[in-house]
Amino acid sequence: MSIEEIIYKNALAFPEKIAIISGDVRISYHDLWDRIRQSAAYFISNPKIHKGDRIILSASKSIDFVYNYFGAHLAGLICVPIDPETNATRLARIVDSAKPSLIIGELRNHGDYHVLPFEDVLMGKDVPITFPKDEEISDLLFTTGTTGLPKGVELSYKNQFSAAENINTFIGNSSDDVELLALPISHSFGLGRMRCVLSKGATLVMLGSFASMKKFFGEMERCKVTGFGMVPASWSYILKMSGEKIGQFASQLKYIEIGSAFMSKENKEKLMSLLPHTRICMHYGLTEASRSTFISFHEDKDYLDSVGKPSPHTFVKIFDEKGNEKPNGEQGEICVKGNHVCSGYWDLPLSSFHEDFHKDYFKTGDWGFKDDKGFIYMISRKKEIINVGGKKVSPIEVEEALDTIEGIEESACIGVPDAVLGEVVKAFIVGRLTAGDDESIKKKMNGLVENYKVPAFIEHIDSIPKTTSGKIQRLLLK
Amino acid sequence: MDVKEKIFEIVAEVCETDVANITGESTIGDFPQWDSMGHLTILSNVEEAFDINFEPEEMMDLEDVDDIVNAVEEKIG
Repeated sequence: MSIEEIIYKNALAFPEKIAIISGDVRISYHDLWDRIRQSAAYFISNPKIHKGDRIILSASKSIDFVYNYFGAHLAGLICVPIDPETNATRLARIVDSAKPSLIIGELRNHGDYHVLPFEDVLMGKDVPITFPKDEEISDLLFTTGTTGLPKGVELSYKNQFSAAENINTFIGNSSDDVELLALPISHSFGLGRMRCVLSKGATLVMLGSFASMKKFFGEMERCKVTGFGMVPASWSYILKMSGEKIGQFASQLKYIEIGSAFMSKENKEKLMSLLPHTRICMHYGLTEASRSTFISFHEDKDYLDSVGKPSPHTFVKIFDEKGNEKPNGEQGEICVKGNHVCSGYWDLPLSSFHEDFHKDYFKTGDWGFKDDKGFIYMISRKKEIINVGGKKVSPIEVEEALDTIEGIEESACIGVPDAVLGEVVKAFIVGRLTAGDDESIKKKMNGLVENYKVPAFIEHIDSIPKTTSGKIQRLLLK
Repeated sequence: MDVKEKIFEIVAEVCETDVANITGESTIGDFPQWDSMGHLTILSNVEEAFDINFEPEEMMDLEDVDDIVNAVEEKIG
């Protein structure tokens, strides 16, 4: 079963129900299906495009993105969704790898590449449609790639259907839901939310960004929104820009899904206190294994430091580097099994995909442990763990301690080579402190963490490199 | 430099554009750099430049350049 087939069934079951609201435009499930078919017909009747071809799609909130995304799938094409702000170098690398037949949508830095505007696509006449098969590849998602070239992660229809089902089951969504999509639609999280909402027969309100709080709350009120997705950085922004206003929607908001990035306990508790009856769910996952675990803040309030338990129909084990399962409480690599785990890597030999598994468990590259109750704790990215004389140091732990020191706004830590210890901690600091304060910072850190975790080197910088979802890109500081 | 001129300059700098491209109606989303991060930077640069603080309730109403100019003039007025 594919999401496309479910949307088709929704269009038959409740044709007049509103599927998408975008400003003044309201599209019913019947009309949504119609537009998707028109888009599919365009692709099928275009002699330059063939089944299995890739197309790059880009937009932050366009409703046309939705028609063309599903339309391309019905035409047997593989979608490569990318951010409209993708820089020229990354775009060139993605084009080089995916070799797309078409680039469609909004792309600011497209250089010499021809980009077809959305309005030129929807012209197709009716053609017979077949639904995609489970094992076929629907999307190629290029990872941010902290080092080297971006990697194309292949997601099949089965992967996406399973992920949507797992998420909707955990959150408890229904067709009565009205979701505000303030996440960019060409990102994995935003796309995932869109698939969840439309496969449930619910209503999606497109906003594309959290930047305007006036619009955010305006749409919440106008469309009687019952839920939304956000990343932890969005919550900090909402709080800063609107204080406790979200509490006014406490009885209206049924659910919130929060993306995978660090969120302080304080920020989690603040959200819980303002929305005491909302099902606040936070997922842990990566492009290759989206939403592998879930925590529900209110239900699991004593385990807010964890990333929760495996998502429905998902299994998580902790392995050592040789592939032996670690007992509860002991650290190792977090590994995941489930139908949502990606199907391969584009343009890479199958062997390099298989290297990322311990038997049938996908290696996430994240370091952590499982407690006796089954809660999973993530400590750090495996590659980012700092090995000080054989002792494993999580950069996150050192950063949290650094960030408590007055004058430090934020920090990021990496390991740098050391002749004696192998590696020592180097901290990058943003804030008003200068090199003259380094000794006092180290002294304060001595009281906060073990000696070997105290940064040996400190560098003062203007900003910490982060991904669009707010994750620190420590490897870029190497 | 008057309030309006200074705010235009701050917005132009964050949006990585020429001051001539900024108008009183320029608003969130008009420039790719004026996203949520850009909005925060603009407001904190304005706070610093005029040595003022915006409350969250005030911030919510600051959507375009004119809103910001009016709010600052009211505060320092």
